[in-house]
Amino acid sequence: MKSPRARHCRLLILLLPLTFLGGCATMDVQPWDRDLLAEEAMSFSPEPMITAIDNHIYFSKEGSTGGQEVGGGGCGCN
Amino acid sequence: MQLGEGRRSPSLRGRLTQAVCAVLAAQAGVVGASAAAGVADPATTSGAGDDVPNWQFDAAGLVYGEAGRAKVVEPNARITRLFGNGARIGATLGLDLVTGASPTGGIASTEIHTTTSASGRVKTDAVGIVPTNQFQDHRASFDLEWTQPYTRWLTTSFGSHVSREKDYRSLGGTGKVSFAFMRGLLTLNLGGGYDSDEVEPTGGFRVPLSDGTVLEDGTVRAKHSKTALLGVSRVLSRRWLVGLDFTRMAEDGYLTEPYKVLSVVDPETGDPVGELTESRPSTRLRYDVLASSVYHFDTDILYASERFYWDDWGIVSTTTDLKYRHDLYDDRYIEPHIRFYAQSKADFFHYSLVQGEELPAFASADGRLGSLRTVSLGATYGFHLPDRPGEWAVRAEYMSQWGDGHPSDAIGNQQNVDLAPPVSIGSVVVAYSLRF
Repeated sequence: MKSPRARHCRLLILLLPLTFLGGCATMDVQPWDRDLLAEEAMSFSPEPMITAIDNHIYFSKEGSTGGQEVGGGGCGCN
Repeated sequence: MQLGEGRRSPSLRGRLTQAVCAVLAAQAGVVGASAAAGVADPATTSGAGDDVPNWQFDAAGLVYGEAGRAKVVEPNARITRLFGNGARIGATLGLDLVTGASPTGGIASTEIHTTTSASGRVKTDAVGIVPTNQFQDHRASFDLEWTQPYTRWLTTSFGSHVSREKDYRSLGGTGKVSFAFMRGLLTLNLGGGYDSDEVEPTGGFRVPLSDGTVLEDGTVRAKHSKTALLGVSRVLSRRWLVGLDFTRMAEDGYLTEPYKVLSVVDPETGDPVGELTESRPSTRLRYDVLASSVYHFDTDILYASERFYWDDWGIVSTTTDLKYRHDLYDDRYIEPHIRFYAQSKADFFHYSLVQGEELPAFASADGRLGSLRTVSLGATYGFHLPDRPGEWAVRAEYMSQWGDGHPSDAIGNQQNVDLAPPVSIGSVVVAYSLRF
């Protein structure tokens, strides 16, 4: 049962840096335009404790790990 | 878990207040909780007068259950000291209480069968049922974290953790440096972590790929993890934030699951005739790339991420995660969540070993190393209690997980059984956050 989306994912990985480069050409976002960005919900992990619990569940039930954290699992569950 | 009180106000006054906060933060060079967005955390910025909170208390409790298997209760509490310049120091205490049953690694049979485990215990398993062992464990953990902005373009974060459970101890530290460019529109993150763990299985270390009656020397073995992270986040517009993170983790030491076994099966019928302890390599190199996006509509927010993972054990996986935060009324929101996960099996994963054949160097029947699919559906509801401080969130989630239950190399009667039947998992998290 090979991962059917692996090829698409590799393509996505290749294309994403281009998105960043493309973003450099977009219109600047001035400080007075950052009202939405200043909201706490506008972050990759707005609920860190719930995210940590979810990641612990996934880590203990699956063979993968990783993301935006740099620590190990800290438990013997995998 | 903060609702951001001003953000649901569509009034001009609310918009102006937020804009002023953002301008003040940008001038002060403060980088707070929204560092990834290159903007300041309004709650920790100066200029908000006497209402600036100095402390934040967070608590979250998990109740988790697998149908017919493990049950977990996990309370966590964190206290954070907030400083006016955006610095913060936090301490988190967590507990895990785990009971129930865990798969042994033994294969499901097409007939009622009785086996003798490595410890000499006799078990009887029903037809099509994956064999399990009852267990009970508890774990306590303590984490410290410190975030310190120095200038408008440089922020550091350091953390440490220690945890202890009956047969496992973990001690580790992390560090991360964030550089902001383009007036905070582009952030580069460099990080690293190191964990030094110890494994002390009940009953000692059994000789790999043996019947488990012979023990190896020693009662404690080490396991080390070294992690490196390179990440970049970019504000693409007033509404859109994206990120790309690459992580490399190198593990070495005792990586075998000490209680797992593999069935030895009859070469004709495929029925189990015995069990052997499992054996895994002593090193593992993991990589992953995570692409994330947060997009703000007029009031709602869409979170999307895609993770691509691979390691030198042969596992390749993809994870798609979507959340949609919809504002309701009176600072309430509902956030549906859906997650898809798919992984290929490790090179040394086997449902069983065939009696009479030469043993491989490594072998494991742990379902977490097999071909696997997980689908998760859930939702978070955030709210305030009337006339009470703080914010609440309740998250409920259902997971269904299954493997490749009918592999092409199934032997005899194994072809008539789902070797990796679906597992249903339910969990509820209640979280509370208060700034004071």
